[in-house]
Amino acid sequence: MTKKDNDLIRRIAEGAKKGQISRRDFMSYSTAAGMTAAGASSLWATSAHAQDAKRGGTFRWGIHDGNTGDTHDPGTYVTRTMIFLAHTHRSYLTMINGDGSLGPDLADSWEANETASEWTFAINPNASFHSGRKVTANDVVASFNHHRGDDSTSAAKALLSDVEDIVADGDTTVKFILTGGNADLPWLMTDYHFAICPANDDGTIDWQSGDGSGPYKIDSGEFGVQFSLSRHEGWHGEGAYFDKVEMLTLNDPNARQTALVTGDVDAVSQVDVKTMALLQRDPNIQVFNVPSAGAITLPMFCDTAPFDNVDVRNALKLSIDRDEVIEKIMFGAATKGNDFHHSPAQPYWPDDIPQREYDPDQAKSLLKKAGAEGLTVNLSTADSVSAGAVDMAVLYAEHAKAAGITINVVREPNDGYYSDVWLKKPFCLVSWGARPTPDVMYTLAYKADAAWNESHWQNERFNELLLQAKAELDDSLRAEMYREMAMLARNDGGTVIPFFNNFVYGARGNVGTPDNLAASWESDGGRAASRWWFTD
Amino acid sequence: MATFVFGYYAALIIASVILAYVDYKKWFLMVFSLLLVSFVAGIVGGAGALEVITIFVAVLATAAAVSYAFKFFLVLIAKPNLAKELKTAPLTAAFGMFVIFTYAVAGIFAPLIAPHGQAEVISGAFAPPDANMLLGADQLGRDIFSRIIYGARNTVGLALIATLGAFFLGALAGLLAAVKGGWFDQFMGRVADVIMSIPSLIFALLMLSILGTSTWVIVVVVAVIYSPRVFRLTRAVAGNIVVMDYIEAAKLRGEGDWYLIRREILPNSTAPLIAEFGLEFCFVFLLIAGLSFLGLGLQPPTADWGSMVRENATLISFGDITPLIPAAAIALLTVSVNFVVDWMLFRSSGLKEQ
Amino acid sequence: MNDLLLLVLKRLGFGLLTLLVVSILIFFAVELLPGDVAEAVLGQGATPETVQAMRDQLGLDRPAVVRYLEWLGGAVTGDFGVSAVSGEPVINAIGDRFVNTLFLAAYAAVIAVPFAILLGIVVALLRNSVFDRVANVLTLTSISSPEFFLGYILILYLSVKLPLFPAIASLSSDMSLGELLHRTFLPALTLVLVVTAHMMRMTRAAIINLLASPYIEMARLKGVPPWKVIVRHALPNAWAPIINVVALNLAYLITGVVLVEVVFVYPGIGQALVDAVSKRDFPVVQASSLIFAATFILLNLAADVGAIITNPRLRHPK
Repeated sequence: MTKKDNDLIRRIAEGAKKGQISRRDFMSYSTAAGMTAAGASSLWATSAHAQDAKRGGTFRWGIHDGNTGDTHDPGTYVTRTMIFLAHTHRSYLTMINGDGSLGPDLADSWEANETASEWTFAINPNASFHSGRKVTANDVVASFNHHRGDDSTSAAKALLSDVEDIVADGDTTVKFILTGGNADLPWLMTDYHFAICPANDDGTIDWQSGDGSGPYKIDSGEFGVQFSLSRHEGWHGEGAYFDKVEMLTLNDPNARQTALVTGDVDAVSQVDVKTMALLQRDPNIQVFNVPSAGAITLPMFCDTAPFDNVDVRNALKLSIDRDEVIEKIMFGAATKGNDFHHSPAQPYWPDDIPQREYDPDQAKSLLKKAGAEGLTVNLSTADSVSAGAVDMAVLYAEHAKAAGITINVVREPNDGYYSDVWLKKPFCLVSWGARPTPDVMYTLAYKADAAWNESHWQNERFNELLLQAKAELDDSLRAEMYREMAMLARNDGGTVIPFFNNFVYGARGNVGTPDNLAASWESDGGRAASRWWFTD
Repeated sequence: MATFVFGYYAALIIASVILAYVDYKKWFLMVFSLLLVSFVAGIVGGAGALEVITIFVAVLATAAAVSYAFKFFLVLIAKPNLAKELKTAPLTAAFGMFVIFTYAVAGIFAPLIAPHGQAEVISGAFAPPDANMLLGADQLGRDIFSRIIYGARNTVGLALIATLGAFFLGALAGLLAAVKGGWFDQFMGRVADVIMSIPSLIFALLMLSILGTSTWVIVVVVAVIYSPRVFRLTRAVAGNIVVMDYIEAAKLRGEGDWYLIRREILPNSTAPLIAEFGLEFCFVFLLIAGLSFLGLGLQPPTADWGSMVRENATLISFGDITPLIPAAAIALLTVSVNFVVDWMLFRSSGLKEQ
Repeated sequence: MNDLLLLVLKRLGFGLLTLLVVSILIFFAVELLPGDVAEAVLGQGATPETVQAMRDQLGLDRPAVVRYLEWLGGAVTGDFGVSAVSGEPVINAIGDRFVNTLFLAAYAAVIAVPFAILLGIVVALLRNSVFDRVANVLTLTSISSPEFFLGYILILYLSVKLPLFPAIASLSSDMSLGELLHRTFLPALTLVLVVTAHMMRMTRAAIINLLASPYIEMARLKGVPPWKVIVRHALPNAWAPIINVVALNLAYLITGVVLVEVVFVYPGIGQALVDAVSKRDFPVVQASSLIFAATFILLNLAADVGAIITNPRLRHPK
């Protein structure tokens, strides 16, 4: 190795220490610099894992989305503060690990019958609520029934529509009986609504008290302002290094940023992408940039003119310059979309589908074919959809001009966007949270009869494949089906998907994190409180 | 550097001596105190501080020179009566008029002046200033200078119409209430109370969510929100006048309400109203900026100074001046309007001494 | 003094009427907003069945007038109902926050009002001097910037570059008064900058407006020193518009500070109200709006009484 290589390796190791480089990047950089893979691997261990997880301290965590009207009801969780709080003071049956695999939480193990229509979960016998009582199968059944039944007001009701019955078998076994096969059910258990709460005697759950079986218990709190928690000593999982956790709702981007810079908080759940690069220059701050399955979509109603013509839909898909959008709206913190709602961060991602590029000329000829030259459409959006949503629509309108398409950007009020615009206006901009598997995503928003079929897309073959893939336990066959579905959505569907956004969040330099950060939510899958630690 | 410092002090000393010789006391005092300040600044801050002072003085001098020339220009083209008034205008008022004139020209001829369209994406995000883009590019790569020019048309136009609307509604109601008194006064007072007692941002949020966000709805809603402030002030000022003996006399003469308002009350209550106009004008700016904070402002990609500040506000923490440019545009206009207002206030107060 | 008392009572009566009108307006405005509490709470998770289930539970299917009258019946007996979203009594939900808001408003007012009036008198005295111009330009600049922007700049200089004050004004119950004042200094200062200019300019304008009056001329010819002319002769007659503007700004300090609360993460009532509107949580919107309305009415009443006391002519309307 030359001196230059040594310098390079030293700098890479430095970067690894600060958490600026992922393990995969680290390995490829180091081997490129002339190291052997084994050498690189051990260097990674000494630089990134120099300090082992240490217990102690109060973790102050600024979270970017909270509302005074939040409640502990798992059926109406909607803000990030509540979702992260739920991952901190309550438990789920399963959880998504840092490396993207599925791991145990309350459930020790799970298995299905061969048609995947009946699932059995074994509950960890050590799990206990903060009140001291053991978590039993009864609590799990009651917690799921909270989201089922005619009078349930849960937002997760649709996710359990194919669950016929949930029964407790003794204190530590729960059976889910489904109307059809669903190979993804254990993944579904990680949905943020399905937090386990203590059951009341009448089969309802006690969500009001805020009791849970998670790593931390709530000492005091005020919705939309802050929560103070302390460690639950009898927690069944590993981690929970901090003694206390303070979760602060910091809705204003500047407030979050200054709080992190001045050390008023130890971590924030979102960093304004505009200032991401500037923040990275601060040696006391680590900025994490994690690809996720969250996406920005632009659904068009496939049953409404002019979008009822597939050529018009494809012309609109060709008229957006995704690279410029990612560069200017996300400042690079995004993965390019290809008009099917299946992200590289999800399992079964088909990697051989050609990327759709910006091609105004082809768009023009498609429009000519459809007899829709000089097309004019309205695109509804609002600032609250995502950071830069309105800017993105404006940029898209500029791109589409080259294809002879006029896009009128209509800024709708932030307030009530998802009740008044989404699913009501024929062409709008939507932000989707990360879902664990393609099946969950497609079933929610692309299935013919889904309540959220935001593009009104009806494709027989797609719907047929969706049901087949769901019950298929053979992974390679399943992957093949998802590939075909992706092609259908890409070439026939009514949704423009410009990109999958990365999660960009930050922490002070003295916060230690695992090598891999979960891609399910910001702040390490919303579990920063139980997975991170202080290094000093 | 040394040459600069030497030249700097030499220029100031020579200027002081000349002014002392020709006996311009006011000017001499100013230049000489600047010299004394410069000695201290030079010792503490070095040549850098002197450069800042030089730039500051140069900007002030340019502004003063332009104002002086503009005043002369106005006197030349105005009708004799008006010209006489204009001659008495202080330099600050002339400066104010010049800025307003510039903004008006920029607003009216925006498409001709702006080198690029307000929505045109011409470069990378946050590109630095160059010959093509005087102030650089914004977050989408649009020319900030062009957007400022268009903003003069969109924001100032909107704010002006809304403020005029608020004044028309508020002052009319206030004057009528003062003159008529009785139940009408009480009724208008209660209506104003009702509107004012709902916080303006919430009121606007409710109204615009219900009525939609077209430009005219924004103008009307903003005018309605601000008219009670004008109403209360007018009512208070006019209330003081209505109890005067000369109004009593006019009433006994049998003059109608309109006569009282036009001939007796209005002329005696213009001063506080004019002062209020200058301020309300910038409050309207801010309300519109606040509305765009809630996603209810002008439709994109229309350039609007308030939203331009908001979009990049977080950058200020890193010393980036992008959000300061539109903020400065708003501040410069408000300050200028109020300079002119001050002068008019001074004239209408009847004070002769300067 | 009796007629003044009568007037106050009369105005209080009208105040109650205003509150009633406000409550009706707010109720129907919230009704007219697209979407209802069920859709707002469920957000992206709303399906027709869940929305219907929630509407049934909250009794939203009954006619609007019936629901309003029910609420009104409770409100006149002091029961403002429970939040439609959290099920918590409204008083608990917003009580503490209103106290926080009052504290911040009082903090800012104690600094801003004397400062603004004093500054107004000084610039009226030194009118058209360099000092007048500079004070003018500075105060005008401070109110021409959006308040969240002023907040950002203060944070940058007084918190990030010079760590004098905390950037976040979050409160905890065990703080001493000194700590509290230190923690909330930046939001208070932002508010001071926002309201000072208005009050100062009105003081100046009202005084200058009187300077040409014959009695001032008289005083001046008698050889009364300029500051005495202003403080003893002009100021007493200028109080009416000044008090009015002060009342307006005090009311603003209580009701208009949503953006400052957001920027400094201060748990005041403004943020609670905006949140409640977005959730269509009618009982909370209504209670907060009525608190604001009552604040306005009382301050306005105080302003009118102040104007009458300072101008005895108003006491006997002819």
